[in-house]
Amino acid sequence: MLGIDTQRPHAFLAFTALVAGLMLLPLVMRPIIAADICVFAIAAMALNLIFGYTGMLSFGQATFFGMGAYVSALLMIHASANLYLALLAGTLAGAVTAAVVGYLCLQRVGIYFIMLTFAFNQLFYFLAYKWTGLTGGDDGLPGVPRPPVTFGTLRLPLDTSVTYYVFVAVVFFLVFYVMKRLVESPLGMICQAIRENPERAAAVGYHVKRYQWLVFTIAGAFSGLAGVLYAMMYGIVPIEAIFWVTSGDIVFMVLIGGIGNLYGPLIGAVVLRWLSETLSVLWHRWPLLSGTFLIIVVLFLRGGCVEVLERGRELLARLDMRRKEAGYGVAADGETDEKF
Amino acid sequence: MEIEHEETDAFMNVALLATALLNGVVTGMIYALLGIGLSLVLGLLNIPNFAHGVLYALGAYFLISMAQAWLGFWGSMLLAPFGVAALGGLIEYAGVRRLYGVHPDYILLLTFGLALVLTEVIVLIWGPVGITVLPPPILAGGVDLGVTFYPKYRLALMVVTLVLVLATWLFIEKTKYGAIIRAGIEDRDMVNALGINIRRVFTVTFATGAGLAGLAGALVAPVRGLLPTMGIEILPFAFVVVVVGGLGSLPGAILGGLLVGVVQSLMTAMWAPGADIVVFAAMALVLLLQPQGLLGKR
Amino acid sequence: MKGLTRRNVLQLGATGAAGVVLGAPAFLRAQSQPVVMLGIWPFTGPFADVGPLLDRGVQLAIEEWGGQVLEKPIKYITRDSETKPGAATRRVEEAIDSEGVQYVIGPWSSGVALAVTEVAKRRKALHYFSGGTEELAGKRCHRYGFQWAVSPYTAMHVVMDKFMELNPQAKRWYLFVSDYAFGWSVEKYIKVAGQKYHIDFVGTDRVLLGTREWSGFVAKAAAAKPDVLCLLNAGQDVIISIREAHNFGLAPQVPVVIGWGVGVEDFVQLDPKNRENLWVGTNAYYTVDTPVAKKYAETYQQKFGVPPGYAPNAAYAMTRLVLRGIEKAKSTAPADVAQALEGWETVDWPGKLRINPNTHQTERDYFFLRCKPEAKMQHAYDFADIIAVGATPLMPTEFNECKDIGTL
Repeated sequence: MLGIDTQRPHAFLAFTALVAGLMLLPLVMRPIIAADICVFAIAAMALNLIFGYTGMLSFGQATFFGMGAYVSALLMIHASANLYLALLAGTLAGAVTAAVVGYLCLQRVGIYFIMLTFAFNQLFYFLAYKWTGLTGGDDGLPGVPRPPVTFGTLRLPLDTSVTYYVFVAVVFFLVFYVMKRLVESPLGMICQAIRENPERAAAVGYHVKRYQWLVFTIAGAFSGLAGVLYAMMYGIVPIEAIFWVTSGDIVFMVLIGGIGNLYGPLIGAVVLRWLSETLSVLWHRWPLLSGTFLIIVVLFLRGGCVEVLERGRELLARLDMRRKEAGYGVAADGETDEKF
Repeated sequence: MEIEHEETDAFMNVALLATALLNGVVTGMIYALLGIGLSLVLGLLNIPNFAHGVLYALGAYFLISMAQAWLGFWGSMLLAPFGVAALGGLIEYAGVRRLYGVHPDYILLLTFGLALVLTEVIVLIWGPVGITVLPPPILAGGVDLGVTFYPKYRLALMVVTLVLVLATWLFIEKTKYGAIIRAGIEDRDMVNALGINIRRVFTVTFATGAGLAGLAGALVAPVRGLLPTMGIEILPFAFVVVVVGGLGSLPGAILGGLLVGVVQSLMTAMWAPGADIVVFAAMALVLLLQPQGLLGKR
Repeated sequence: MKGLTRRNVLQLGATGAAGVVLGAPAFLRAQSQPVVMLGIWPFTGPFADVGPLLDRGVQLAIEEWGGQVLEKPIKYITRDSETKPGAATRRVEEAIDSEGVQYVIGPWSSGVALAVTEVAKRRKALHYFSGGTEELAGKRCHRYGFQWAVSPYTAMHVVMDKFMELNPQAKRWYLFVSDYAFGWSVEKYIKVAGQKYHIDFVGTDRVLLGTREWSGFVAKAAAAKPDVLCLLNAGQDVIISIREAHNFGLAPQVPVVIGWGVGVEDFVQLDPKNRENLWVGTNAYYTVDTPVAKKYAETYQQKFGVPPGYAPNAAYAMTRLVLRGIEKAKSTAPADVAQALEGWETVDWPGKLRINPNTHQTERDYFFLRCKPEAKMQHAYDFADIIAVGATPLMPTEFNECKDIGTL
């Protein structure tokens, strides 16, 4: 059912926990912040696909996030696009941009690839910044509406923070599901193989560049989708949506949450966006903490939050084992072991 | 809203062209200094140093603190870059070094985190507002060059940066230590195999790169003023310089710097909105057609 | 890697628990008892120095009212706008959700204001702003939005009329314009104001706010041989462009006119040499000769040791109007106060004023200053004299794009 293996209790439990978590989120924080988290979690999942699973570090995801936001916003403002059209347009915008940019960036590898993604991000940023007639430039593009969800005669408005959150959470859940299937599919396996050893993958017969381009485009599509949701959330597309520091933030989230893990992006988004909103009210120099956090993670905890818990769990397991053996006094093979 | 410009035709107006060219050279030389530092680190350690911009900013901030404290303009101008170099060495030793065995992406992320942290530290120490630095009295005001009237400080800046750039080039090309660095850029393992303490070379190179960034920042402070985000703003341009000129190539960084500076300045005079876009489009083009840059080796 | 395991569940649970503890206020909406005012000010970013000044203005007004209005306590909170539309709208929305904000004052930047006013409109919170964009009382007008600053149409006329009266030969004007909502508005109207005098606008450079490198633009301006260098920019750009104009020998031979300036906040950053031949149009200056303004300037100077600049004056004045509006409406509901303010003719900080009911533009005086030479300054802050005061001409209706201000 739903592709979730109910035989594996952990996976099922995890899935349930995710659903429960999503339902719990707006109760423990302002719904608009919860929605914000989900939106960025989608963008982070997109990056995780190419970075965590395929080994391509892109420092330019904001390009596609921003394109999705601007294109859908313009359609909603000037063409009264309905919700579905806006979502589709934004996703397409992200995908098409990623297809083109990805094709160009993938001409090179390693640092060159990273710097190309960065260069294109800057290119699009300056385009958006200067084309004030279209994008509002530094002032941003205000007046983005929230078209209602329509289904036949049913019409669900999204005007309040809570209803918008529910909508975004549902989208996030769907994206998560798609990601899960993708990652567990043969495509996902190939990607991981490429991450581990591109030469070998090529030697085995996989056209590495083509797969990389494909996942890059898919990631661009999802980033664009996240962009649409972002634009509708605050009714404005700020220039930051397409700025390179946002690309960095998305990388942050993936790293903090835990690379190459499906739940990592959400965890990273929760930590980063929630902390950012809460702390920024208390202390304006909040980025100092997030930067320090990133440094610590990079230096010591490259597995992210997932690794923290992993270590915690291992510690608990070890303590547990000692406790058990202290009780029985014998080791597995029958010999007593004085020293622990 | 339509932009209504009354553009002065740059090519007909010699004064404007001359000034734009001179401005371009000034900016270009600063970019060149930044580019050299970044190129050294990129070439030798294979990492794009995202903290390079904030180190440039720190050069400017160290300058004003030292100048206010006791040293005056000239003393601080001499010492500030060394302060930044020391910081660079510390960063390499305490942070970057730990990540050499690990995937290079992590070093990049470390430098990115540092960029954010140090920018906030600047705000904490010096405040969030823009600060003005006046050039020293003998360099205040301008000179009539016949074709145009040009500020003295900028002229001095051109000369000084030229000297510094040449000095750096000489150091890299003609001294033994420079040879080690060049060898390291070419083939790191070979240098290690030759028994040279490559780790120390790394630290010194990183520190030198940082020092050059700090120097650029200190020199440009009276021209542009200080702002905590000046590092974040200039970083992308430093990257362009290095890519266009060639990773790991010093003459390339100089050429790249001048090209970017002059193009930016001329474009500002002719069609301002296009200035920055052209720069990045050029970078993308170079990366695609000739990734080793105009004068790069690999 | 595998999917979620127990460790991840623990993580989610821990986050949830922490969230409950720290996020508890989320669901406790502020009671309608206190009057909740939000100051959305820049505490970080390029205008971070102005945030605390604006904050002072609001606080002083609230102090004068004894912290309450209509016998209800005033709850005043602030949020950092960061001078970023995205961050500001997020924070305003959050403050309305969690604190029940009814009155929003600020922000500082026109671009951010246009974004914030959308939130105010949607959430029906009264929004008072002082800034140069005509759109707040124009294209983006709504029943809850109010503009305290003079209409740029009027302001630019006051500047142009007085300047041309004293300098009738100055026909060639070069403009530096900040490339965002504020700049566009003032640029449009200085050109309209110049028509009467057949001004030749020999060049216009729209420069992005926060530009550090002004040499190119100054060079262009110099090459155009203008009679006036007119600055329609904001923030540090004003300071740097003035400085560069002097560096390149353009000023002080060529007078520098700041069309829409902040006055004191700029003057303290400028060297006396850089204030030579400097003319400034502004919405608020501390020597403005009205009872409210003078009393405030005294109080402020006593408390903080310096005369108030535009920022604390504006914040103070807007808060006063909101509080007086509440008293006039005999209600703390934003809708009632909005109606009370509409069409109100009264006397307050700028002197006589009227709040236009169709556009919510405040019709009031604008001030034109001329900086004094250093020798004539009688004390450290005696920067300039007010040489013109005017509330006319009013913007003709055909110019105004607020055709339907909407419903409450």
